[in-house]
Amino acid sequence: MEVLLGITGKDFTLIAASKAAMRGATILKASDDKTRQLNKHTLMAYSGEAGDTVQFADYIQANAQLYSMRNETDLSPSALAHFVRGELATSLRSRNPYNVNLLLGGVDPITHKSSLYWLDYLASLAPVPYAAHGYAQYYCLSILDKHHHPDITLGQGIKLLTLCTDELKRRLPIDFKGMTVKAVTKDGVVDIQFDDDKVVKAA
Amino acid sequence: MADRYSFSLTTFSPSGKLVQIEYALNAVNQGVTALGIKATNGIVLATEKKSSSPLADPSSLSKISLITPNIGMVYSGMGPDYRVLVDRARKVSHTGYKRIYNEYPPTRILVQDVARVMQEATQSGGVRPYGVSLLIAGWDEGILPEEEIEAKEGEEGKKLSGKTGGILKGGPMLYQVDPSGSYFPWKATAIGKSATTAKTFLEKRYTEGLELEDAVHIALLTLKETIEGEMNGETIEIGIVGPPAHHLLGVEGVEGAVGPRFRKLTPQEIEDYLTNL
Amino acid sequence: MSSPFSINGGACVAMVGKDCVAIACDLRLGLQALTVSNNFPKIFQYGDNVFLGLTGLATDVATVSDLFRYKVNMYRLREERQIAPRTFSNLVSSSLYERRFGPWFVSPVVAGLDPKTGQPFICGFDSIGCIDFAKDFIVSGTATEQLFGMCESLWEPDLGPDQLFETISQSLLNAVDRDALSGWGAHVYIIEKDKVTKRLLKGRQD
Repeated sequence: MEVLLGITGKDFTLIAASKAAMRGATILKASDDKTRQLNKHTLMAYSGEAGDTVQFADYIQANAQLYSMRNETDLSPSALAHFVRGELATSLRSRNPYNVNLLLGGVDPITHKSSLYWLDYLASLAPVPYAAHGYAQYYCLSILDKHHHPDITLGQGIKLLTLCTDELKRRLPIDFKGMTVKAVTKDGVVDIQFDDDKVVKAA
Repeated sequence: MADRYSFSLTTFSPSGKLVQIEYALNAVNQGVTALGIKATNGIVLATEKKSSSPLADPSSLSKISLITPNIGMVYSGMGPDYRVLVDRARKVSHTGYKRIYNEYPPTRILVQDVARVMQEATQSGGVRPYGVSLLIAGWDEGILPEEEIEAKEGEEGKKLSGKTGGILKGGPMLYQVDPSGSYFPWKATAIGKSATTAKTFLEKRYTEGLELEDAVHIALLTLKETIEGEMNGETIEIGIVGPPAHHLLGVEGVEGAVGPRFRKLTPQEIEDYLTNL
Repeated sequence: MSSPFSINGGACVAMVGKDCVAIACDLRLGLQALTVSNNFPKIFQYGDNVFLGLTGLATDVATVSDLFRYKVNMYRLREERQIAPRTFSNLVSSSLYERRFGPWFVSPVVAGLDPKTGQPFICGFDSIGCIDFAKDFIVSGTATEQLFGMCESLWEPDLGPDQLFETISQSLLNAVDRDALSGWGAHVYIIEKDKVTKRLLKGRQD
């Protein structure tokens, strides 16, 4: 029941991940952050098997940072997405593959174009305007299909995100304990204060 | 831990030379002369077949070898080293090419593969360089030299061949490969004991637009200049790259089957050329 | 249902015309019945007129297309010439068979014109590299049955470039409309002697 959501807009990419850390039916923690910042302009959110997720995300984060240190320049979101795909594709056909689903969002430091990449544990990579992972896909993609425009502002993006989380609260049988929401803009990654306490009653 | 001491025998001398390679070239320059001449419609490779004893059976001795149906090779220098290289060339033309692309390698590709084998012997541990120089002759599919001239006269706009663009130049190709692993394309050349004499002779006799028959003729004349023993079908070896030899296919009526372009002349054929000399 | 070949969905078709060939694919990327992206092209170019279509598992489509980009670039540098469609097909075949006991889950299609003769060339493969040479058309993906039906009824010999575009487009569009796992737009390439035309078809978005 992990939720990952991503929305691009005119000059930003929004990434949101549920705060609940679960083990079976038990919620172990209600303030989990399932995101990693790879460099100034790129953020990655992850879900999947418990051990694999953090292990893989840390590995990717370390390599992205190593690249930035060595070359005194950051990899673009597109380059990072393809790098991650390569690592995940190699892992897929290894003896024990990582079971990790990812959303990778960013803003190109030069062109200021926002981008979002959808990656599953099979290393299928797709550039998308908005995306979700897990059960959230079934509830949110149709909402996003209807309301998303490529040139929305950050405010409109957050409203759109609220529309999605409301629906998730309404329909998902387990509380996902609200969302960590972050936005990538040309100035870097910023935390977005998001109202988790709003109660949505099922119809 | 034997590999600990298996450093390369080929090491730089203080003056910057690799003397092992120079020694290998000395071995080549003591070898029996071999030559190659490129014609418009083919190539001829020729060498002397010297036997150390009158008791030796010359018909079982062979110095010119087929590598692929369109590529042949001759050497000057050490016979055993040559046989190793023939084996490697035949093997690499399949593993590195035919089994991947289902077609035989173009001449330059094969030459590069053989040259790599020879270069590696100058830098690897525990081995000595090959004591041979090779002449590799082949025919490549592609735009023939005459077709290219026609096309150039026709229209200037469309380029038929280029570095990484168009179609590879086709037709006859003749290369020399040395023990160092360096290789050169030639119109005509000679290697071995009397290479210098032979090359001077070839410079005088070679003309542009040579036909294969003329090239065989010149090859025999050049060999005659340098040969020590008697010249006959038993003591001369000739390989040609010419039109597809369908009679060597072994089958008839197979659609699309093309015979090998490289073949060795029989002693009888050589005798016929010699009588017309 | 959970065959690796039909998780992501997708369709591809190639056709022979008169002195021209065409190759087309849909744009859907899905997870079973859910559509994730409608911008996932499955046709890749490897020379002036050599095209490869790849359907099957999306991750392998990406991996295999990258693998051939590498192999063809190396070929071009080594041989100082473009790879010919027939040579490329043999490369595809041997590369797939290399993975005989752990295959890439893809069904490739090659289309192109012979650089020397200008003859149209198309062929298809199974996932372990068995080549299917065809004089008319090759189909692959989750809509093969529908594509076979469409091609069998619409295709005829010696179609010109414009007629061939209509034929391949109608074949693909109407085939994918009857397949839940493919569709959502299409790319169509018409390859002529010294011209390649790429058209984007919107298609049904439902």
